[in-house]
Amino acid sequence: MVKYIPASKEDALNFLASHDAYIVAGGTDMMVLKRNAAGLLPKFDKDVLYISNLNELNKIYEDKEYIHIGATATLDEIYNHPLTPKLLKEAVGEVASINIRHFATLPGNIANASPAGDTIVIDYLLDAIVKLESKNGVRLVKAENFVLGVRKVDRRSDELITEIMFPRFSYDGDMWYKVGSRKADSISKVSVAGLYSITDGKISKFALAFGSTAVTVRRSHELEKEIEGLTQKELLDRCEEFVEKYSKIISPIDDQRSNKEYRLMVAKNITRKFIKQVGEGK
Amino acid sequence: MPNQSSQIYKGGKIVKSKYPTSVKKVDFAAKFAGEALFSDDIPFDNALFAKTLRSTISRGKIKAVHLPKLPEGYYYFDRSDVKENVVNIIFSDWPVFADGRVNYLGEGIGIFVGENMEVLNKLVEETKVDYIEETPVFDMSESYIHKAFKKGDYEAAKKKAKRVIKRTYETSFQEQAYLENQAIIAYFDENDKLTLTGSMQCPFYIKRAVMRSLGLGDDQVRVIQPAVGGAFGGKEHYPSLTGSQVATAALKLHRPVKMIYERPEDIVFSTKRHPSHSEYEALIGENNEILGIKAHIKLDGGAYKGCSGVVLSRALIASCNAYVFENIDIVGDACMTNHVPCAAFRGFGSPQTIFAMEMFIHHIAKEIGVDPLELRLKYLAKHGDVTTNSGHFHDPIILPELINKAMEMSDYKRKVKEYSKPGCLKGIGMSLFLHGCGFTGSGESDIIKGKVKLVKDENDHVYCYASSVDMGQGCRTTLKRIVAKNLGLPDEQVTMDGPDTDATPDTGPTAASRTIIIVGFLMEKAAKNLKKIWKKGVRQEHIEPYVGPSYIHWDEATMQGDAYPSYSWGVNVVEVEVNPITYQVEVKHTWSTYDVGRVVDERIAVGQADGGLLQALGYGYLENLRCENGKFRQKGLTDYIVPTAVDAPPMETAFIDNPFIYGADGAKGMGELTFVGGAPALALAIENAIKKEIHSIPATPEYLMEVINNGKY
Ligand SMILES: Cc1cc2nc3c(=O)[nH]c(=O)nc-3n(C[C@H](O)[C@H](O)[C@H](O)COP(=O)(O)OP(=O)(O)OC[C@H]3O[C@@H](n4cnc5c(N)ncnc54)[C@H](O)[C@@H]3O)c2cc1C
Repeated sequence: MVKYIPASKEDALNFLASHDAYIVAGGTDMMVLKRNAAGLLPKFDKDVLYISNLNELNKIYEDKEYIHIGATATLDEIYNHPLTPKLLKEAVGEVASINIRHFATLPGNIANASPAGDTIVIDYLLDAIVKLESKNGVRLVKAENFVLGVRKVDRRSDELITEIMFPRFSYDGDMWYKVGSRKADSISKVSVAGLYSITDGKISKFALAFGSTAVTVRRSHELEKEIEGLTQKELLDRCEEFVEKYSKIISPIDDQRSNKEYRLMVAKNITRKFIKQVGEGK
Repeated sequence: MPNQSSQIYKGGKIVKSKYPTSVKKVDFAAKFAGEALFSDDIPFDNALFAKTLRSTISRGKIKAVHLPKLPEGYYYFDRSDVKENVVNIIFSDWPVFADGRVNYLGEGIGIFVGENMEVLNKLVEETKVDYIEETPVFDMSESYIHKAFKKGDYEAAKKKAKRVIKRTYETSFQEQAYLENQAIIAYFDENDKLTLTGSMQCPFYIKRAVMRSLGLGDDQVRVIQPAVGGAFGGKEHYPSLTGSQVATAALKLHRPVKMIYERPEDIVFSTKRHPSHSEYEALIGENNEILGIKAHIKLDGGAYKGCSGVVLSRALIASCNAYVFENIDIVGDACMTNHVPCAAFRGFGSPQTIFAMEMFIHHIAKEIGVDPLELRLKYLAKHGDVTTNSGHFHDPIILPELINKAMEMSDYKRKVKEYSKPGCLKGIGMSLFLHGCGFTGSGESDIIKGKVKLVKDENDHVYCYASSVDMGQGCRTTLKRIVAKNLGLPDEQVTMDGPDTDATPDTGPTAASRTIIIVGFLMEKAAKNLKKIWKKGVRQEHIEPYVGPSYIHWDEATMQGDAYPSYSWGVNVVEVEVNPITYQVEVKHTWSTYDVGRVVDERIAVGQADGGLLQALGYGYLENLRCENGKFRQKGLTDYIVPTAVDAPPMETAFIDNPFIYGADGAKGMGELTFVGGAPALALAIENAIKKEIHSIPATPEYLMEVINNGKY
């Protein structure tokens, strides 16, 4: 088995073209997934490509349409970068602990495709695009299409995620809720992100995304369309109706961290709070 | 971003302590530099690893064990390899290796021993065990230890009662979560003597356990303590089991054998704190006075009794906490279940009942419509009062001073009123508590009979010998300071190393908050006596045996008399805010006051105060260890949630002196004291915020959601 540390992106893509390999960025998921008994090497059963040293993928920059976050930028670097979208910064700041954030990356979070991945909720909400590169070219996939299920993503084995791209747009207000079991180093029991805009007295933009409450992040474009166009008062009047409707798009479970009743109740409480926030224009 | 609240260690205001405030801990430099050798760091030539073959069912007979073919250099040991198949614990019913049957999921059937861990893991995987399964018991329906005692006449009082108030309280499992996992190594020393080293609290317990299971003499087993990364009771008895297992293999193979647990193995299979179910009843008289208290306390002891009898006994002794009632009727049962055996854990039974009593007295007050604080003050124990077990409080009690100081520090009275207003989501709670120091009754003088030894060399350097283990709590520093001070020597002229059973007298276990009050007292006396015979430049030795207070009389069978040589006292005040959207609790601040007799070293005392309270807060709202069908659901520190530095609130602590005549310069115990009051103070703060009664800990958001939506007040 080969363990490869590429000299450049091109080198990495060449390697992936000829090897079916695991990719390790920060390793904060991979090393846990492949861990072995203490004192023994991780149990990798395939070749491994280590990419964290690729400085050319470390950049955070902007153009007219997008904020580009390079694949090897660490969550800590993202947190401290002025171009980072506000909601992303908030979510990143609550991932794990500072030590993990010194290693962890955005592609690592989404490619790991855990139902509890915090930044995936933001990727969905902000219509982020996953940029995949291979020797055969570039493929752009919307985050919500990229995640297929638990630990399943739309990536071919010769592809490397090189960036996560966030469309530039402005909005009037937002919300981020991570409900963990303690203040740091805590996997989400429920997470919810939302944003909205008001134009000429009507809701012109409304979006909500839920994490840890289904196999993948949940967002409903249908409900968003139903809400967009309403006045704030109309939304407030129909608050409980939408809380109920939103509660239908998630399907939380019992596990070692929480139970489905709690997850459902809290998701509803947060939805209600957000609807009130939008209705009252705060 | 979570609020990265910084910690304010205001420390304690120490009233007239004779000791200088703090010194650098003796093990500080080595630990800070990463040079201290913990068990797994100690190099051994030719060492083999041991991996446990564990039962995959909770209860049943073993029909057959089908071992895979063992490769060259790999071995298997089980019950046929030991002389007497029991672990020497207080009640020795736990076998070293499963004795033809298994009584909990994960019980050790045998161990595989060999050089390569990967191969050992495979051997475990490939072994097939046939069982005849039996229906396991997971509820507390089968009592295996029963205890009861009375004071006054509860039944007669009941006839006078105007009403009876009842409540049920529950507490959960708790994991010790020491930094260093269980680790034990058996090898042969330079004189070819079977020697054990490992992460431990009680070297002599291990020595006696190995002697008994392998049929060896006193001079055939040696135990040496290396650096230990925390214990909290979890290394009081368990290493006697693992020690006996590795010693079995080492003795046969004549090679070092190491057993190092990983975190999931440690959380799931080592001993835990006893879950409890307590039913309390109070008799209320014409004038709203409490005429009597009755309680039935059940503990889940797990598959083997081990030390559960003592834990039960101490739970019952603490059942009325720091209050004195005239008529008492207390019954307790430790119950056999097919769970992992529960054993020692900081507090040893009293956190369960102190939680219940502190909640109960509030719930009584609420129900009869009186101010909870007033009701508590009315029944506070005073010097000379008759205790729950019909002994006496022989020493002065300064609980009122502790309460006043804590209330002043925290602005308790104003806050509790303000936060009681409807809609307010802040809350403040206060617990008052006592903790017995040392072994139960006159156990220190009659059973333990601890000894310490001081040796002075030709250069007048003094070496202290006691079997007390420094597991991070700092006893090597405090004990040696006591000696240095009493000899009038600079600290550098006195050394205290970890125990080695070949060189150290048996001072008893490092448990029961006894290290300072008992061993410290011994060290003080030894130092004073050595000073009397001190001859410059000559090697001298002095051994000091323990002589405790003669007025302590206790009968364990009837549970009547003086339960402890002495008590330490404390008050915890906790302030919280509850999030109405997520039902999460944020601990905002804590204030504590303690009477530990006298503080020996301020920083070490504050370390106990902050650490003990934080661990107790975790017990109260975060540390959820659920066992379903005999299986723990939380298997690592990702899911078993202990508070992190970010969760730690600012903590303020004050100590008020109340010297004890049989303590080193008046010092009493404090290791457990700082744990027992945290959970009730927190739960009372939550009640104050949500205006509903809490009956169970940990008060997780999932539980609070239920209480907020359906609970009563
Ligand atoms: C203690 C601890 C706490 C944690 N807490 C949280 C938390 O609070 N919230 C949360 O969301 N997560 C948490 N995590 C999970 C983890 O830190 C995050 O998912 C992190 O973002 C993973 O990034 P990484 O770079 O370390 O990924 P890696 O482990 O390197 O990789 C993860 C997956 O992504 C793939 N991958 C990585 N980079 C690329 C790429 N460029 N192209 C294609 N595939 C790629 C890998 O092949 C692998 O499948 C925690 C982990 C630990 C150990």
